[in-house]
Amino acid sequence: MQKKPFLTPADIALELDISTSTVLRKIHAQEIPAIVVSERIYRIPAASFELYKAGRLKRAQPAPLGRPRPRHRIGEGESKPVAAGVAALRRA
Amino acid sequence: MATIPELRGYLGDLSAILWNFGAVFPTPTLDPYDDGSYGFEFSALLPGSAAPKPAMIKMMETWEPARAGRYAQVEYEYDFVEYPLDRRRAFHRHDEEDFLREFGVAVHEHCEEVLKKPACDHYMGLPIDGYGAIQRFTILWGQPGPLGCSALRCMQ
Repeated sequence: MQKKPFLTPADIALELDISTSTVLRKIHAQEIPAIVVSERIYRIPAASFELYKAGRLKRAQPAPLGRPRPRHRIGEGESKPVAAGVAALRRA
Repeated sequence: MATIPELRGYLGDLSAILWNFGAVFPTPTLDPYDDGSYGFEFSALLPGSAAPKPAMIKMMETWEPARAGRYAQVEYEYDFVEYPLDRRRAFHRHDEEDFLREFGVAVHEHCEEVLKKPACDHYMGLPIDGYGAIQRFTILWGQPGPLGCSALRCMQ
């Protein structure tokens, strides 16, 4: 059977043999990573749950400083905005 | 505005969030640029279907010196390309003068229900940060159905 890519708090509760409210507490305490779909709906990527079970979740660490380099170009290759009047002329 | 240690912490936070969702990418660095600004860029591959390619989140930001050792964010590019579902969502802030002059907004969004076939080149957007972008992208991740591009306001 193919594994589900995302789990619900109820799925996790079943797997860990704990209550759903305990799972929700762990999510709120950021012990289990979850996607907050809305105030009451959480989705847990299966990969996150595997990391949790294996004790391999990462704690945030300050990112290292890189070496000096030329500034990156953000938005490169993307079309620039065209004003409505110009766009109308182009369409004409 | 943020100090360099704060920016390092912020980038470390974003990385940990994505790693803990199972994303794969090398440790990103906060890079000093030759014009005195700082920034970062990295692409994280998400777990799940890898056909035709894994879904990807790309994060880029640039911060320029402001005052008293603090830096102000001046550009960003947050992109979510979900190849398995053939679609894209993005939040951008770049070429700000052009967008302000033409549309009176500094930021814009992209939305492609079918990858590389946008119904509109640029959509009106609201400012967002890296945390917000990851949250918005991961809500969409792996969920079939429309992205909701038609509900956005096209700039052109």
